[in-house]
Amino acid sequence: MVPSGAILFLGNHMSKIIIVVNGSVYGATASRRALKYTQAALTEGHEITRVFFYQDGVYNTSALVSPASDEFDLVQEWQQLAQAHDVELVNCVSAALRRGVLSAQDAQENQKEQYNLAKGFQMGGLGELVTGIEASERMVSF
Amino acid sequence: MKSLTILFRHAPHSTAHGREGLDLALLSASFEQTVRLIFVDEGVLHLIDNQDSELIGTKDYIATLKALPLYDIEEVYACQQSCMDLSLDPAALRFNAQPLLAKEISQQLSVANEVLVF
Repeated sequence: MVPSGAILFLGNHMSKIIIVVNGSVYGATASRRALKYTQAALTEGHEITRVFFYQDGVYNTSALVSPASDEFDLVQEWQQLAQAHDVELVNCVSAALRRGVLSAQDAQENQKEQYNLAKGFQMGGLGELVTGIEASERMVSF
Repeated sequence: MKSLTILFRHAPHSTAHGREGLDLALLSASFEQTVRLIFVDEGVLHLIDNQDSELIGTKDYIATLKALPLYDIEEVYACQQSCMDLSLDPAALRFNAQPLLAKEISQQLSVANEVLVF
């Protein structure tokens, strides 16, 4: 959980922040709050070292998520954010494979006919979370 | 090097929280971070002896806790109040988990560089 006023707490100092997304793309608000927080932090001039998707957060990276046309498209929002601000979007590959989110390479390695990792996201390991925490002043989890 | 405190709040087996928290604990320790584990609320149920989760069709990830000393994770704590609420004897917990009072847990959380909750 993020303490309310977390952005205020950062004050005028420009921080390096790693964002961890654990909540699913649909059915819970965590990932939308993560997106909004990330956008706000970037607007305020903070550096986002990485957005790391773990647990059910990996559902945010599926290209097959298809909300109705009048609904918020989180996958697309993450992609646009990454492109506009050059932010890395990294999945925990083990968490993703277990939940049916595979890159082309994962599909090949696991003898699956399809893959569904959305463009702009990449597969990584928990090591990238740990090195990301190391390289950041602050971690914010959703 | 940073110190990470990983908090386990969910009961084992019924969700993947505990397993994914433990995966992160071991991985972080292998990257030479200082890792502490604290079991609170129903998370203390990870520390009961003689569980056989394969009977309910889930992988016995709790067995991995035995490997903690190999990863130099030596600080394992359990919330004393949570144990009492669930009628567990804090002295009988596995993996040398040390019972802590609520204020001692707060203290642990305040000294960690980062806290991850599972």
